[in-house]
Amino acid sequence: MTDQYETRGIRRVLLELGGFAKNALGNFFTPGFLCLFIPLLLLWELLPRTGLVPESLLPRLSTVAAAFWDMLLHKDLALHILYSLGRFFAAFSIAVALAVPIGLLMGWNLKIRSIFLPLWQLLSPIPPPAWVPMTIIIFGIGSSMHIFLMVIGIFYPVLFNTYQGVKDTDPRYLASARVFGASEFTLLRHVYFWHAFGAIIMSLKTGVAMGLVMLVIGEAYGGRMGIGFLLGQAKDYFLIPDMMVCMGLLGFIGWFLIEVLKYLEIKLSVWKVGR
Amino acid sequence: MIETRGISKFFSVVNENGMAEGLTAVLNVSLTIPDGAIVSMLGPSGCGKSTFLEILAGLQAPTDGEIRIDGNLVLEPLPSTRKEMEDYKRRYRFISPLANGVFTDHPKHDIAMIFQDYAVFPWMTAIQNVVFALKLRAGGNNRSGRAARSEMMDKAVFYLNKVGLAGAENKYPSQLSGGMRQRLALARALSVEPKIILMDEPFAAVDALQREKLQDDLLRLWEDAKAGNAPIIIVMVSHDVQEAVYLSDEVIVFSPGPGGTIRNRIPVAIPRPRARTDPGIVEIQERIFAILQYDINQESMYSI
Repeated sequence: MTDQYETRGIRRVLLELGGFAKNALGNFFTPGFLCLFIPLLLLWELLPRTGLVPESLLPRLSTVAAAFWDMLLHKDLALHILYSLGRFFAAFSIAVALAVPIGLLMGWNLKIRSIFLPLWQLLSPIPPPAWVPMTIIIFGIGSSMHIFLMVIGIFYPVLFNTYQGVKDTDPRYLASARVFGASEFTLLRHVYFWHAFGAIIMSLKTGVAMGLVMLVIGEAYGGRMGIGFLLGQAKDYFLIPDMMVCMGLLGFIGWFLIEVLKYLEIKLSVWKVGR
Repeated sequence: MIETRGISKFFSVVNENGMAEGLTAVLNVSLTIPDGAIVSMLGPSGCGKSTFLEILAGLQAPTDGEIRIDGNLVLEPLPSTRKEMEDYKRRYRFISPLANGVFTDHPKHDIAMIFQDYAVFPWMTAIQNVVFALKLRAGGNNRSGRAARSEMMDKAVFYLNKVGLAGAENKYPSQLSGGMRQRLALARALSVEPKIILMDEPFAAVDALQREKLQDDLLRLWEDAKAGNAPIIIVMVSHDVQEAVYLSDEVIVFSPGPGGTIRNRIPVAIPRPRARTDPGIVEIQERIFAILQYDINQESMYSI
């Protein structure tokens, strides 16, 4: 019964990729959006070309594209991207691996909540960028500092959303599992977690955004590699096309990761689709 | 056998002046339910019958009194002295007194419960819901592995078929209709083959035709269990007088709340299978209607 529509192997991979592309790119190819987007691109190209806007402030689209190609060939852009992404994923995994279990435990148990919640309530209002000077002193300049800053940025939204989602678990689900004999650990794994699942995915999206903010801030403050570093360098040399390439890349990475999370959510919460 | 002695439940609530105030939900209910009986509890809304049912299930601790199932205490009573209170608090510092244990799944009593809004897990398919309950019931000492798992699957399919959910095994609750969800909850409760099933207004949310069919299904399954020498006690909270009388061996009418207590116990000594229009049944229904009517009128007199 389950395997009726099941496909396996490479076909399955292609099918999933196709589904992902359709989901992610679908809203770019609607007539409405294209009506807005194509004129915008044209304006970007034409305004500097006709001299309405000075080209030193707004380089043409084609110039930016050429700068991208140049950076790719001569400035190790791919390596910089790889560094940034590596740090980002390290930080993301650490933050999620810490925040989700702590959030689960805090939502589950009153005692644990009363111990930990005030701590996060005190620490979380500190804006993550305010951590930069301390972090540089403690970790020095390097990957560990960048990762720590991103962890700080990603941790709180994931923690609080998980906690809230778990805390709001419908007591009827708990009661029905308890009557059947569920232990507390089973409740956490099979009831609380799934109830909070939507909130957790939501918070991961916020986490991606916060992580990218901290990526730029951290790398702009120090380091020799990464997109944020390239951005800082472009600022120092007043290379507006390079800045735009960096901005575009960051935007693209954020968009792509959020689409991945969205697709994950669709795949893992089939049970919600029917509503 | 379920024995309850002098069950009372008080809540502390905040009144409109912002002051703490006591609220009596259940007052001094004593009741003995023999094995294999179907008992219905009727009464106006807010008379504490649902609270009483939750106390029976061990989901709330009674303020006073004790409940024994086959001689075993359902929940330890709440502390009454200061010393006991401190002990109690210390013992349940980390996990709630309702918890079954931290890591091992083990039910305290052989009870299954069906809630008013079903409480089937929306993130599991029909069959996963049933298998989940079976796994919990198998407990810490379960023989893990393929054999046990396929056995559970077979059992789950068997009970899903029994309640008429064949073909809906891999549907999620959101894809099922209200009546089907109710059947799923019923299958989940039956699959663990409990001695006691507690139901909180089980058929309130389904339409009249579905309801009659579900009632008949329930009776059939109950008779099956009885024939198989594993009698089930069914305790049901209901708003529907006809349903209560048609199904039960005994109807318990609660007095209007707050502070519901047993007002009348009305045995229904009519052999099964019964007809819904049996004169004996109709007579009892009318008696109960008269009782409820009287209470409502009296209450309105007082309130004016």
